[in-house]
Amino acid sequence: MKIWTTLGAAAIAASAIASTASAKDLVIGFMCDRTGPTSVTGTALCPGYHDYVNLVNSKGGIMGNKVIVNEIDHEYKVPPAVEAYQKFKTQNALLVSPYGTPMVFALVQKMAEDKIPGTSAGFGTALAGNGERYPYMFPIAASYYSQSAAAVQFAKAQLGGSLKGKKIAYIFYDNPAGREGIPILEKLAPKEGFTYRTFAVPPPGVEMGPQILDITRRFRADFVISHLFGRAPSVSLKEFKRAGYPLNKVVGFVWAGSEGDIIASGGWEAAEGYNTMHFAGVGSDYPVLQEIRDMYKAQGKEEPDAMQYTAYYNRGVFQAAVHLAAIENAVKAKGSADITGTDVRDGFYEIKDYTLGGLLPPLQITRKDHEGGGWVRIFQATKDGYKPNTDWYRAYRAEVRELLEAEIAHTK
Amino acid sequence: MGDLPFAIELAGQGVANGLMYSLVALGFVLIYKATDAINFAQGEFVMIAGIVIAALASDAYGFPLWLALFAGLVFMVLFNIGLERVVLRPLIGRPIVSIIMATIGLAAILRGFGPMVFGSAPRGLELPIPDSPVIFGPFFFSPIQLVGAGVSILFLLGFGWFFLKTRKGVAMRAVADSHQVSSAMGINVEKYFALAWVMAGVVAMLGGVLWGSMSGVDTQLALVGLKVFPVVILGGLDSIIGVIVGGIIIGLVEALASGFIDPYVGGGTKDFAPYVLMIIMLMIRPYGLFGRKLIERI
Amino acid sequence: MFYRESGEYKTDYKRDMTLYALPISRFSVGLMVLLFFVAAPLLLGEYQLTLLSLVAIAVVGALGLNILVGYAGQLSIGHAAFMSVGAYTAANLVTKLDMPFLLTLPAGGLMAAAIGLVVGIPSLRIKGIYLAIATLAAQFIIEWIINHSPSISGGVQASIEIDRPTILGWKLDQAVELYMFLVTIAAIAIVCTQNLIRSRIGRAFIAIRDQDIAAEIIGISVFKYKLYAFGISSFYAGVTGVLYTYYLGIASYEQFTLVVSIDYLAMIIIGGLGSILGSVLGAFFITLLPIGIRLFMENVGSLFLEPEALASIISQMRLIVFGSLIIIFLIMEPEGLNRLWINIRNYFRVWPFSY
Repeated sequence: MKIWTTLGAAAIAASAIASTASAKDLVIGFMCDRTGPTSVTGTALCPGYHDYVNLVNSKGGIMGNKVIVNEIDHEYKVPPAVEAYQKFKTQNALLVSPYGTPMVFALVQKMAEDKIPGTSAGFGTALAGNGERYPYMFPIAASYYSQSAAAVQFAKAQLGGSLKGKKIAYIFYDNPAGREGIPILEKLAPKEGFTYRTFAVPPPGVEMGPQILDITRRFRADFVISHLFGRAPSVSLKEFKRAGYPLNKVVGFVWAGSEGDIIASGGWEAAEGYNTMHFAGVGSDYPVLQEIRDMYKAQGKEEPDAMQYTAYYNRGVFQAAVHLAAIENAVKAKGSADITGTDVRDGFYEIKDYTLGGLLPPLQITRKDHEGGGWVRIFQATKDGYKPNTDWYRAYRAEVRELLEAEIAHTK
Repeated sequence: MGDLPFAIELAGQGVANGLMYSLVALGFVLIYKATDAINFAQGEFVMIAGIVIAALASDAYGFPLWLALFAGLVFMVLFNIGLERVVLRPLIGRPIVSIIMATIGLAAILRGFGPMVFGSAPRGLELPIPDSPVIFGPFFFSPIQLVGAGVSILFLLGFGWFFLKTRKGVAMRAVADSHQVSSAMGINVEKYFALAWVMAGVVAMLGGVLWGSMSGVDTQLALVGLKVFPVVILGGLDSIIGVIVGGIIIGLVEALASGFIDPYVGGGTKDFAPYVLMIIMLMIRPYGLFGRKLIERI
Repeated sequence: MFYRESGEYKTDYKRDMTLYALPISRFSVGLMVLLFFVAAPLLLGEYQLTLLSLVAIAVVGALGLNILVGYAGQLSIGHAAFMSVGAYTAANLVTKLDMPFLLTLPAGGLMAAAIGLVVGIPSLRIKGIYLAIATLAAQFIIEWIINHSPSISGGVQASIEIDRPTILGWKLDQAVELYMFLVTIAAIAIVCTQNLIRSRIGRAFIAIRDQDIAAEIIGISVFKYKLYAFGISSFYAGVTGVLYTYYLGIASYEQFTLVVSIDYLAMIIIGGLGSILGSVLGAFFITLLPIGIRLFMENVGSLFLEPEALASIISQMRLIVFGSLIIIFLIMEPEGLNRLWINIRNYFRVWPFSY
């Protein structure tokens, strides 16, 4: 008898919690990979996401409504990601943030059917930048097309304003995402008059002596664009160093330049000069990060280790900031927290002049352009950490768009 | 740079790298030779050794390098003794799939355990070895590769001598041949199993240090384990000399494939070529260049 | 207590050959049909149906792997690669030739079977660990070829998007429709496997597993049947790949990596090698395990851990529990969940007169 009353009471209590929770809470489904092949990223990015949301909640949430983030770690596997997505759906998530290219592919159709928006910053395909094709998926960060174009522009600036007769080496992780930068090079090479060669680093990429040897001693590249993931960037840094290649003539794409890579390659002094591209600002000198540190201090806790790895941690903050901005815009437009996924999608289009003191690029998300403009910023490794080398910029937009449209026409 | 000097230079690199692969593969062969067990967690052994040492040597724990190395060694020895005792001894005599699966399970445990205890952020592992290349005529070598190659050769020779000449080594080979017969001859089979795992742990610790200092340390370091299979199939699963030769061949094939096939294929053939070579080997000489051919009877 | 064989007499060959000979087995099969085909779609929500759909797909793959590893005794670490063969075959057929769904399903399976036969050829000479490593090589080589052949993989992305499946003009786009379809396929796969194992081929597989030289001496063509095992197993894998492709709307080789092969191996080890029920239980177990661990950790772990710490502990614990379970099963119950079930059943078979 007694057990039944206790159980009943517990059930009532649970349902009470559930009902108060659903009244005004804004739910976000957040996927993460803290243990799989991209755990290096996930373990810094995911805390950043939670910290920013906690910060907003500690300041009263979005117009008085609390934001709830439900995280599920899918270990970079597709079936758990599908499960996670359905779980988020039962929790009435307004926004789902998939993690990882295959997972974005697997969910993009379903999310459009269910009218739940999501972002894929740094994942997925350049095609998702086209809002007409994938109305509910927002890459919000520069695609590999845009990054490749920006890298060429950077090389041009570094090599004295002209690429005529120069040789560019493109060293890439040998998977679909790795190859995505090549079509842009193909397009720009005749226009700018440079030649390029591609150097594939097959997974797992723990060793790449031959490729670097080829770049530095046979091909003799004037500039290197490096599109590597995982353990590979730090290995490449070591190998470039050993080959005596100047690291300031190397620019890495967005996954090739975390603080972890620099540390693993032997520290800041060893990596001095190395340029990396980012779609969210790197470093700790942003007001929002100070606020997060203050939040931890106020709670009497130490700031998490992940905060040292600002390349990924800040991306978590960046994603959270964009998500919450879209939700806030939706709440504002509706006048209440009673919003749907479609409202949040429209909220993305209303994000204007929102940079959190330089941590975010000046995104302009439009119905046609879900990439937000393709902004990147290049940071250079110095003895005391990353220093910005350029301002937020983008390059060769016409060529990027042309390629994108050709590719979309081709795959339809 | 012309093709020939480039090829020579690539070959030099390939040999040096191949010997580093041999070092990882050696742990695998030691275990197979003595206990007939297939260790799919060899890469994870290397990883966990690297993680422990890099974590202890980092500012968080602040051990001096030699102490961290020593602690890593002790850790690997104790860990592998425990492992043999708890996991592998009960599985003696089970079908091969059981042992493979057990080591796959072990690999998962290690990938969870390392980051849980020591944090998941990548770390560097700086050995007091200079970065600037060493030049021998046309060859450029990085010092770490030379050290790695040297350590590999040293260990391989050491183990070769151990198995051929020492009493314990002979006993170990007897154990590998037949558990039953060696028990009957008064050899303490279980002791030798433990010894084999300990030796593999020591080798994994060295692999962790050298590979860790090459590429930095985090859970991704375990991926070097995938390089083991082509090496051991080529050389023979139970042959120490085979590990050296297999490693060198795989290193060479990788380097040359990357330098001379990649430009025509437009993709990385470096990790693909060794597996093709391995399949060919399996079709021609399944027991490898130096492996023992087993004759089966009912 | 319901499981009674006494009083069941087989008086003619027909009765001897029936698949479900005992009233209790007919009853439980009927119950299962009722449960999964009637009750589940009526009572469960989209989330639960999604889980069951994922399990149903995994069941097909696990059965295929169990035929090869559990029944024929040929260890394969490349099962996922055959799934990708099926997936890309179907995706190419449907996008380029506009082939109807019901044809792409066997077509994907047959293509995978053809590749499986090629991969099976080395099994003539090698076995055990050597064969395992050969299949590992097959995994990498197939992955590499798909990744580097735009004509197979559909361009730079190496992925092909496809529409939801249509059967005779009926589009399966609701969770419940997809579920019904997948569970039907899984049921067909189960019955086919049951019959396969009872047939000459199945018995030959078992003979080869138990002692291949002896099998050859009693007149079984070992090579032929090993190839059959590879072909049939790959057929199942190919079908699994096609199902995944349609279920997710995309074929991408990154969904079928080595990790997936290992997950399927874990399914049949934990479920029970050489057992059909084991394959099904294993598919359930491995698919639902991460969810179970997460629920457990969220509810119990939140009592004494901060939410931030909890998130990363959940992930790491999942790996540790996954690995530990495999090892514990191997040591304590090598025949897997299937054995546990048989033990329970045998207990009740004679209950309450257990002596």
